Amino acid sequence: MTSTYVATLELAAGAVLLSAVMTLWRRSVSSIVAMLRLQGVALCAVAVDLALHENDRALLVTGALVLVVKGVVVPTVLRRVAKWDPRSRESRPLVNVPASLVFAAGLIVLSYVVGTRITSLSPDDATRLAPLGLATVLVGYFMLVTRRRAVSKIVGLIVVDNGIALVTFLLTSGVPLIVELGSSLDVMLVVVVLQFLMASVRHHSRIDALTELRELRD
Amino acid sequence: MTLLLVALGVGALAALAGAALARRWRVAVASTLGALGCVLAVFAAVTTLRGGATTTFHSAQVLPLSGVSLTLDPLAAWFILVSSIVGAAACVYNVGYAHGALASRPAQSTFMLFTFSLIAVPSASNITTFMFGWELMALSSLLLILTEHARHVEARSAALWYGVMTQLGAASILLGLLLVSSHGSAQSFAAISAHAAGLSPATRSLAFLLVLGGFASKAGAVPLHVWLPKAHPAAPSSVSALMSSAMVAMGVYGIIRVGQGLLHGGTVWWWFAVTLLGVVSAMYGALHATTSNDLKRLLAYSTIDIIGLVLTGVGAAGALKDSGQPMVAHLALGAALLLVLAHAAFKGALFLAAGAIDRSAGTRDLDLLGGLIHVMPVTATVIVFGAGAIMAVPTLSGFSSEWLLLQSFLHGFTALSTPVVIVMLLGTVALALTGGLTAVAFVKVIGIGFLGRARSEGAANAHEASRSMLVAMGALTIPSVFLGVAPGLVGAWWERAVSLALGRSSDPYTPSTGVVLARLGGAIAPAAVLVALIGVMSLVWLLSQNRTARHARRVDAWGCGRDGQTSRMQYTATSFAEPLQRVFADVLRPQSDVEVTHVVESRYYEQSLSYESRIVDVFEARGYRPIIGWVLRAGGAARRLQNGSLDRYLAFGFGALIAILVVG
Amino acid sequence: MTGWVYAGSATLIQVVTVGLGGPLLVGLMAKVKARAEGRVGAPVVQPLRDLRKLATKERLHARHASPVLALAPVVIVASTTVAVAISPLVSTRPLLGSSADILAVVYLLLTGSAAAALGGLDVGTAFGGMGASRAMTIGALAEPALLVAVIALSLPSHSSNLPRIMASTLAHPDWVLGPSRLLALAALVIVVIAETGRIPVDNPSTHLELTMVHEAMTLEYAGSELALVTWGESMRVGLLFSLVANLFVPWGISTHATVLSVVVAVASLAAKTMLVALGVALIEVRSAKLRLFRLPELLAGGFVLSVLAVVTGLVTR
Repeated sequence: MTSTYVATLELAAGAVLLSAVMTLWRRSVSSIVAMLRLQGVALCAVAVDLALHENDRALLVTGALVLVVKGVVVPTVLRRVAKWDPRSRESRPLVNVPASLVFAAGLIVLSYVVGTRITSLSPDDATRLAPLGLATVLVGYFMLVTRRRAVSKIVGLIVVDNGIALVTFLLTSGVPLIVELGSSLDVMLVVVVLQFLMASVRHHSRIDALTELRELRD
Repeated sequence: MTLLLVALGVGALAALAGAALARRWRVAVASTLGALGCVLAVFAAVTTLRGGATTTFHSAQVLPLSGVSLTLDPLAAWFILVSSIVGAAACVYNVGYAHGALASRPAQSTFMLFTFSLIAVPSASNITTFMFGWELMALSSLLLILTEHARHVEARSAALWYGVMTQLGAASILLGLLLVSSHGSAQSFAAISAHAAGLSPATRSLAFLLVLGGFASKAGAVPLHVWLPKAHPAAPSSVSALMSSAMVAMGVYGIIRVGQGLLHGGTVWWWFAVTLLGVVSAMYGALHATTSNDLKRLLAYSTIDIIGLVLTGVGAAGALKDSGQPMVAHLALGAALLLVLAHAAFKGALFLAAGAIDRSAGTRDLDLLGGLIHVMPVTATVIVFGAGAIMAVPTLSGFSSEWLLLQSFLHGFTALSTPVVIVMLLGTVALALTGGLTAVAFVKVIGIGFLGRARSEGAANAHEASRSMLVAMGALTIPSVFLGVAPGLVGAWWERAVSLALGRSSDPYTPSTGVVLARLGGAIAPAAVLVALIGVMSLVWLLSQNRTARHARRVDAWGCGRDGQTSRMQYTATSFAEPLQRVFADVLRPQSDVEVTHVVESRYYEQSLSYESRIVDVFEARGYRPIIGWVLRAGGAARRLQNGSLDRYLAFGFGALIAILVVG
Repeated sequence: MTGWVYAGSATLIQVVTVGLGGPLLVGLMAKVKARAEGRVGAPVVQPLRDLRKLATKERLHARHASPVLALAPVVIVASTTVAVAISPLVSTRPLLGSSADILAVVYLLLTGSAAAALGGLDVGTAFGGMGASRAMTIGALAEPALLVAVIALSLPSHSSNLPRIMASTLAHPDWVLGPSRLLALAALVIVVIAETGRIPVDNPSTHLELTMVHEAMTLEYAGSELALVTWGESMRVGLLFSLVANLFVPWGISTHATVLSVVVAVASLAAKTMLVALGVALIEVRSAKLRLFRLPELLAGGFVLSVLAVVTGLVTR
């Protein structure tokens, strides 16, 4: 039983990080959103696995919430945003794709260095996976910084949020339900605002690379 | 020890012969004496490595202050072996190679001094002797770079860069050594080593950092490497071979001797820094090697690459020793030492071959060579073996040493401390990233330089090098192959050298041709693989020959239906490396200009088109040039103090006197 | 059977299996692709027939060729054959199994690629140089991913010896689904696609010189030498597919000296590699060939996956 628990946990946490890296790797928005969906499901799997192992009912509810918000609602909304745009590719990121992948590899190593220092305080099956969550946060942040398009930036933000959620799940075996509820709703709000924003910006100017927005001030 | 002293004596005689004899006899006699001295040094080193006792020699008469003090222990012997093998080959090569300026009295005697200073440096065992040998090595090589300054204008700027960097490095080393010695008020290495444990950690770390700066610059570690790709190609090839294989090894020797021998290992952060230097150098060197077109510059960058790998091994050994894994630490340092020796053999051979090409084709620009295998078959074979070794083709020497290095990283992952694991991870990544790039660089050397068709008059009219040059190159190929096929036979040798540096014995090497790590697990048997390879090759050859006519029919090459292809239609070295140059454009920052001249009548037709592309060293352009700019500006400002008026100079002197009196 | 006889016959069986099986795998992939595209396709044994026919045809050399042109195919075949002979494909105890180090296999394959590139450069035409340059570039970019993925696989058993890795996987079936393994598998699949020159990296059935990579290098070969080059290439396909299959699912491989176990091992190896071939063929059908300068993205992705595999392996140990 324990070994299934550990194996599932490792696999799910690995999948969260993998999907974060994949969002850097893929260019088409639809596959980036698909990766985000995978990440939501994997995160839910982490929560449910922990919940079953520790008989924590609240965590089970959190897991369900994660699945609904991050696995279903957010990706669906993003997909709809992406559909408006016929050229739905991240064509010219500030840092090109191979370089950002190599940089991501460096970030992963860095989070291993930093993370093991934290997790060595109380090593158990869940906490020693925390570096994976930390790496997810860093990769998401990197995406937030280097990608030009609004959708990609939002995806980066959500990846950061998912990474934070993963770290908290692993370190504290779940945050209080209310906190997770709050943060999930926050993210959802951001996505919905983006949807409206994009709709109106598109209506006015047909521009959606945020770096080009500087010109709108004038 | 007597043998080593005799060797050094013969070396001094060779230098004298170079300085005194008439032109007719000079080169032959000096080279013979030099080669004899090097062979004697090889014997001295081998005697010690085979288990002979550590011997010392001290004479208070020769040098002032502290006297000359030499010690022949296994670690020193290993590096003496490195320099004397290459030295012997370079001396033989010298017979056929020395012409013009290089055959002059000063050049010949400096060449001999340089060769034997490389043997003296590892055997020195007090600060004065060490620094004397070190400066002799630096100054003699500096002079040798300048021998061909009439033919190669770039030699002057290369010598300037080299002179400044090497003197700064020597000053840094001297400061570091004085820092550890002044506390114990003794300057023999044994005394420093005994006192070092009592020093404060801060003093030891500062001393190590100072010494590391000097030695790493000599070893060509990035970012202290900028002089190397200028100086190594500018020197005559016999000197380049010595510089690129033996002199860089002295940097590695210094790091091991001071870090492990005198300061007893220190903390894990020292070795983390060494590994980091190594990783950056390995990747940067490999990348520039693939995109360089000047054959000797390419080889120089590949030296930076290999020495980088050596430094990761040295760093890993230090980190592992510190984290309590002596057995794996021994493995890592052993791998580094083996790689130094293997590199000396194959890089020496490659540089000597490059010299032969330069001499015979009149250029070493790969874009102007081609088809040399038809006119220089022996040189081509030497290059193929050298390139194979550096590409780590199994059963050649690069492979066995890189395998050992990877084994140590793999077993080092069991360490519990995170910095050590990171050191292992970095080393592995460096090994992985450089392997493929090195292959591209050396496939380019063989494929563009030796295969295909000649791209210039010089390459078409080239001829095979003289016999002594061929003998020298061939002789260096032998140890390179031997270390690959039977690395296990010298296992006990490097084990003694490593034990001297790290203390304690380790996984015993079973005497066989292959390497068997009995306690750690892991083995290779290159001799058996070689037999299998040769067996299969001859089988395939025989089977494929029987079926058809003995000689293949000669036809035109496929040109999409176009007849008469010219040699200008071939891929060049530039175009060969272009995809990689484009992939790594962020690191290399290539600059290219395209200039199109249109026909006067219409701008839709082009009259001529010129394309120029060059790659500048990023560290030089971004790091060193600004500093040089500041120094020049400061110098310009200082010049205002000096207006030639005697009164003012006297006033300066007076002011200084007053200031000293007031402060004192 | 005594140890030597077993090891010797196992090695021989491996070489024969891969030597014949490699071309068959290439044929199988062509067939699957044809079927998926609605064509009938050539029979699966077509590559073997081609080899037999080529072997009897006349050898042609370009005018400026050196002996390297004739030597390169021999080196390609020999290095691949030795790599096949020392790897544990049918048995965990082949002759020279003790030196069946991952590094040895990787560098033997690299030797083969370098020989192929030199063969391409020897004639001195634009196409040969183009193919050699591109093939070496792809190889250089795939190499880091390959080595790091391999390190990830060898971490749990602390050995880079292939039989040892397989033996420890056999002893710990629960390792197979670990995240580190799966990531390394993904990285290795990318590398294998690049190293065997399949779509999206290279199109093995292209007839347009400008898009060729591997085919451009072999343009100057004819007759028995072309047969050797092609055969070496299909053996490389067979070896890489078998290694991927055996490293991740070693079950079925013969560990002791009985005739039955060897027969089972050959059958299971055939089944596993056919599955891998099927997967690769489906990837080929589903994807378009990438532009040369989009390849670094793919291979850097492979590299990151393999670094991820190592770090995950370190975290979860």
